[in-house]
Amino acid sequence: MVVPLISIILLAPLVAFAIFALSGIAKRTFPRQDLLSTAAMLIALICSFILLRDVVPEPEPLAVDWISIGEITISMGFYLDSVTVIMLIVVTLVSSLVHIFSIGYMHGDPRYPRFFAYLSLFSFSMLFLVVSDNLLGIYIGWELVGLCSYLLIGFWFEKNSAANACKKAFLTTRVGDIGMFIGMMMLFTKFKTFSLFDGAQDGIFTRAAAELATGDIVWLSIAGILIFCGAIGKSAQVPLHTWLPDAMEGPTPVSALIHAATMVAAGVYLTARMFPILTFPSSLVIAYVGGITAIVAATIAIVRFDIKRVLAYSTVSQLGYMMLAIGAGSYVAGLFHLTTHAFFKALLFLGSGSVIHAFHAMHSHSQHTHGHDEAHADDEAHEHDDLSLVHENLVHEHGSEIPPDQDMRNMGGLRQKMPITFITMLIATLSISGVPFIFSGFWSKDKILAGVLGRAMEWNSIHHYILFGLALCAAFITAFYMFRLIFMTFFGEPRNKEMHNMAHESPWVMAAPLIILAVLSFPVVNTIWFNKDYVIPPKQPHLHAPQHASVSPDTKTGDAKFGFSFFGVSEAQAADEVGGKNGEKADAAYYIYKRAHNIAMALSIFVAGLGILLSWLFYHRRRFSAESVATTFRPVYNLFWHKYYFDEFYDGVLVALTVWKSRLFARFDLSVIDGIVNGVGFATRRVFAAIIGYFDRRVVDGIVNRVAEVTWAAGGRIRRIQTGAIQTYLFVVIGGIVLIILIFRAL
Amino acid sequence: MTLQHYLVISAILFSLGIFAVLTRKNAISILMGIELILNSCNLNFVAFSRFVSIPDNPNNIDGQIIAIFGIVLAAAEAAVFLAIILAIYREFGSIRPDEVDTLKG
Repeated sequence: MVVPLISIILLAPLVAFAIFALSGIAKRTFPRQDLLSTAAMLIALICSFILLRDVVPEPEPLAVDWISIGEITISMGFYLDSVTVIMLIVVTLVSSLVHIFSIGYMHGDPRYPRFFAYLSLFSFSMLFLVVSDNLLGIYIGWELVGLCSYLLIGFWFEKNSAANACKKAFLTTRVGDIGMFIGMMMLFTKFKTFSLFDGAQDGIFTRAAAELATGDIVWLSIAGILIFCGAIGKSAQVPLHTWLPDAMEGPTPVSALIHAATMVAAGVYLTARMFPILTFPSSLVIAYVGGITAIVAATIAIVRFDIKRVLAYSTVSQLGYMMLAIGAGSYVAGLFHLTTHAFFKALLFLGSGSVIHAFHAMHSHSQHTHGHDEAHADDEAHEHDDLSLVHENLVHEHGSEIPPDQDMRNMGGLRQKMPITFITMLIATLSISGVPFIFSGFWSKDKILAGVLGRAMEWNSIHHYILFGLALCAAFITAFYMFRLIFMTFFGEPRNKEMHNMAHESPWVMAAPLIILAVLSFPVVNTIWFNKDYVIPPKQPHLHAPQHASVSPDTKTGDAKFGFSFFGVSEAQAADEVGGKNGEKADAAYYIYKRAHNIAMALSIFVAGLGILLSWLFYHRRRFSAESVATTFRPVYNLFWHKYYFDEFYDGVLVALTVWKSRLFARFDLSVIDGIVNGVGFATRRVFAAIIGYFDRRVVDGIVNRVAEVTWAAGGRIRRIQTGAIQTYLFVVIGGIVLIILIFRAL
Repeated sequence: MTLQHYLVISAILFSLGIFAVLTRKNAISILMGIELILNSCNLNFVAFSRFVSIPDNPNNIDGQIIAIFGIVLAAAEAAVFLAIILAIYREFGSIRPDEVDTLKG
């Protein structure tokens, strides 16, 4: 039953795309590509839910041999454990809802069918990535989703910014992918297989555990970090995060699906898949990259005015959180946050799309052109007017123009105009901010914090205390900027009357997905999976706790799950999970994690409340002025406003270096290479050609002419023998015969 | 009369024929020389047939038969030769072989 289901899940979106792709041959598009793609996704969604029933904790991979070279056999196959199925459901669910939303949002676009075809291709690629049981399959899916991301970011390629953004996204992620490829090939060279799990032959994890001695930890760490490089690119971690905010040039449903819920989470998924071969150094690198990303992106998000950019940086920050969790050994927490985040972040993006769409009506009424974000690119002058109205005296002008319908300074007071959008977005915001108990985001974030603090206390590790601090700060800032977004968009007085009057609630086809996602932002669905031991974290045989750990490394698999005694996990049960046979150690770890969890929960509730309170004071009650704070801490503000100068750094250093290097090479090319070529040409023409020509004329021609002359002269002489007188000939013949006879007589 | 006598006569005839062929300036004379050569051969055949007996077959007269063939051949050859001389005479207006030298190199 598993194989047909998987086949349907993968083939349905692929067929939907293939029908569009083949329409080029038929010279006409399928009339309702949108419904076709949506139906394909819904079929995949239903099949994913049916698959839930068939899942076992450690299944056999369903693999077939693909390529055999000598003794090496490369297989392709599927691996369906609980994590895979959860990912399948997340991807198909968000994708289906985004498809439905897009029917409303993209209505009237000139490339409307193509958009849905791309979405289908993306869904197929992402699903393929998720179900693959081997690194090669994951890599194929990985590059395919990268391609789809490129195509969809540049969907409105008439806009220069979109064309640039898609190139930037593609190239930046490629940097990481090179690392990933090297890491992958390192593992392949060592273990002669791409398969991760044990099937017909042992997978990488088993071989790594069996073959690698402790001394090979360095080697394995390097391989792990290189593979993580791919995740850094794809999941927009520092320092390769700069492409994701720019990717917001794509249509908003794309931002929701690809750049918030699914594709960017592929990096987290990959890191989680590589969990069993993570060593202490590679885990620490992952955790630090994640932690730094979480805080860097969050601080940048505070000062953004473009609603989509705020959400983009928020996504980067949350992805950092997930990486931090996995790096700190909280496998379940990381994946848990991945799923909860997928739902509420997709909701936030779709909500922002709804707001943009509402504002857009104005443009599309006046000049009922095609794409939404496209329309405002038409009249630049108008845009400048809008901006100058609200710009006041800000410290700095933003480098790139913010489209007026995405500028939060044009919004405000949309609460009454768009009640459904407001309520659903508020739910998502409460969830991401970590408002306790009834929102899913709280539980996943709390699990991460508890996991990190637990690891810190268990190992008595200063690194993990620092990481916990970073995570806590990020949680605080997240709550602050998310409520800043809500207050600026939905509360207060409308700041742009003209636009406000035009705003309206979105049609049902757009509102329905918002409502469904809002329901999913409550812990009803996702939390259950994680507390019924649905997902079991794999062992990490290569992870060795530092010497000064207060608890024996045997208990290292401890995930922060035991804190959830409210969900009915008994203490004994938790102890079993943590410590295995050794009750004493188990108890120690268990109590450490339980204490860590209590502390973490109290702190996370406190920082979330503090963030929301500050945001309320700043942006709703206007008790403090954000502008005056910005002026007071001008250097810090500048740092945030300029996004830590990452783009400037890349433009000023990497791009400049590349250009400089290219110029250098061009000059080298022009002078040295061309010089050699020209010199060789000159030498050939003037020197060698002359020598050879002389030789040719004198020697070769001389021989030929001499031969001819000799032949001529000889001919002139010999012709005289030919007298034409027949008697002479006869005389010679007879003379010859007589001569021969005489000679024979003499002998 | 022994075999040697015949052979000497035959050799003299052959030499005279060769001499005529090589030296005469008239094609008819050359033809006559050729006839002498042929006849010297015939004489040889007959002489050998008469004086040399083959142990297996004492009554062998193959040589004499060949001589008769030779005479017939000479007649046919004379006819062809005279036809050629006529053609040459029509072409060149002469039957002197040293004047017919268009193959001269």
